[in-house]
Amino acid sequence: MVDLAAAMRQRSLSLVIYALTTLLGVAAFLYPFWLPAAAQASGSGMAHAADAPFMVSVLVGLCFAVLLLEVQGQGMSAKVVALLGILVAMNATLRFVEAAIPGPGGFSPIFLLIVLGGYVFGARFGFLLGALTLFVSSILTGGMGPWLPYQMFTAGWTGMAAPLCRPLVRGLRAEGKAGEVVVLAAYGGLWGLIFGVVINIWFWPFVSGPAGQYWEPGMSALEGLRRYAVFYVISSLAWDAMRAAGNVALIGVMGLPMLRILRRFRDRFTFEYTPAPAHAAPGAASAPAIAAGRSA
Amino acid sequence: MRAATPSTPARRGTLHAGAWALWLLAAASALAVTRNPIYLALVLAWVAVVWQAAKAVPGLMDAERAVPLSPLRFGLFVVVVSAIFNGLMVHIGDIVLLRLPESWPLIGGAITLEALVYGALNGLVLTGLYAAFLLVNQVMPIREMVRLAPRAYYAVAIVISIAVAFVPTTLRQYRQIREAQAVRGRRVQGLRSWLPLALPLLTGGIERALQLAEAMTARGFAGTSTPGHDGWTQAGLVAGLALAAGGLLLRLVWGAGTLGLIVAVAGAVWVAGRRHPQTVYRPAPWRAQEWLVAAGAAWTAAFFLLPLPGLERSSLFFYPYPRLTLPGFSLWIGVSTWGLLAPALLLLRQALITRDA
Repeated sequence: MVDLAAAMRQRSLSLVIYALTTLLGVAAFLYPFWLPAAAQASGSGMAHAADAPFMVSVLVGLCFAVLLLEVQGQGMSAKVVALLGILVAMNATLRFVEAAIPGPGGFSPIFLLIVLGGYVFGARFGFLLGALTLFVSSILTGGMGPWLPYQMFTAGWTGMAAPLCRPLVRGLRAEGKAGEVVVLAAYGGLWGLIFGVVINIWFWPFVSGPAGQYWEPGMSALEGLRRYAVFYVISSLAWDAMRAAGNVALIGVMGLPMLRILRRFRDRFTFEYTPAPAHAAPGAASAPAIAAGRSA
Repeated sequence: MRAATPSTPARRGTLHAGAWALWLLAAASALAVTRNPIYLALVLAWVAVVWQAAKAVPGLMDAERAVPLSPLRFGLFVVVVSAIFNGLMVHIGDIVLLRLPESWPLIGGAITLEALVYGALNGLVLTGLYAAFLLVNQVMPIREMVRLAPRAYYAVAIVISIAVAFVPTTLRQYRQIREAQAVRGRRVQGLRSWLPLALPLLTGGIERALQLAEAMTARGFAGTSTPGHDGWTQAGLVAGLALAAGGLLLRLVWGAGTLGLIVAVAGAVWVAGRRHPQTVYRPAPWRAQEWLVAAGAAWTAAFFLLPLPGLERSSLFFYPYPRLTLPGFSLWIGVSTWGLLAPALLLLRQALITRDA
């Protein structure tokens, strides 16, 4: 029998870990904006400003390690492992093809499966699908670099937050209808933009330099944000708009039939063998009972 | 694709993946910490030397796996772009080159040599990071990269192995479906016409996943969800994270806070990893040459990262503002970058051996 209290405790601990890593991740991502102000307030030396990007990279990497451990640590059945492996392979193939034949701007076909997979199979699955897609495709295309933890984190968040669409869809009573796809397409479009904003922050301290923010007296976090906004609009808004539009179009066209396929397989995937008791009748013992569940 | 590359004799003498990882870590941290052009130039030069040495070993750098963008081109582009951007955005420094009208938002004001130089230095750092990562990408087979995963990430490592193994299969399946549809006279025009390609691909892929899961279950891979790591690991993680969050808030990240998190994560990964004993079919030995590379990496990293007694570290933090000066130079730190050359020595030795053989 499952110890209910222990399960509850484990679940709440998991939630705390999710919340903390997300919080730390957001703080680390946003450090170029609050660090200069904080450093000026405390009067600490420029030595800190110089190794800040390095320490923050370490922090992001560690947060990612913790989150990954937590997400996979809950026990992955053979079915989940196999399904994840295959879907990651499909996505990585898409990215491989995309690296050979680049689409317009930041368009990338990988978000279709990440959003739909997270939406159908849950936050854990979505996180792993997003993060591992980026990892495997970076191995294949040789695009591994210090930006990888940021990309994995952000793509993971994309899949992880997808189940948040569920209450909205349920509220609209749109399950299996066009409304569901509209919600998901809007979600995909939004994350197409957020992905670009977050990835660019990795690049930002290198472009502006700690000195650019640090050596102007009275420069606040708000001013930093304003500069970043200008930098973003000039350098990448058009690029990211392509990604957002691509996500909307892909989910809009492929969403419904793909959701149908994923749902059908979810029902096939979540059955579990429960071995029949040994003292049962010989006929019953030879055929294990199959209990269908929807606990994914 | 790389996964299919057999282990050729040239590979047999190659460095352990862990040694490469340590080398990469040392190079990346040295690059990330300093903005002193002298140290940057030294580290970049040593990375280039190791790159050339790796090229000298036949069969090590795969021609099949194309380099996305050569580090030289990447460097030229990034250095120029970041110099211009920094020059336009940062209007401090004494040596004014020209003045843009103040009324222009953000870019209006003095364009200074200092800002251009600092931007170019940032570009150099990015170039170095790109080159070092690209090099390790090129010389390390995927199988060994996956093997580097700590035991705690055993499940994730399996997922990655499956994914890498199935990419060629997926490509092949895609071609088959496309041919089948072409035979039926379907033409690909517009987004909607991709549906008859994408849907069979997805269905087929998931069918294969089901078969794979059954095969894994038959071979003893846990068929049902097993409870994950125990409460202690989780509690340790929470404690470590809380420590780090507190450290961040208290502006202690650059000291005790991050250290605390490193310790907490390492401990948790180790505790979780003990649950997955592992056997290896083809062990990768850790020999004297790996120790040499590790020692070199540690030597470099120590001088760049640790406040060693008697070491003048201020030259690391070079700032051109408010007036451009010549960068300082510490002989010790300069010499410490030689640690990054260890792989080049071993690669050259290997190149000589393979040529003789």
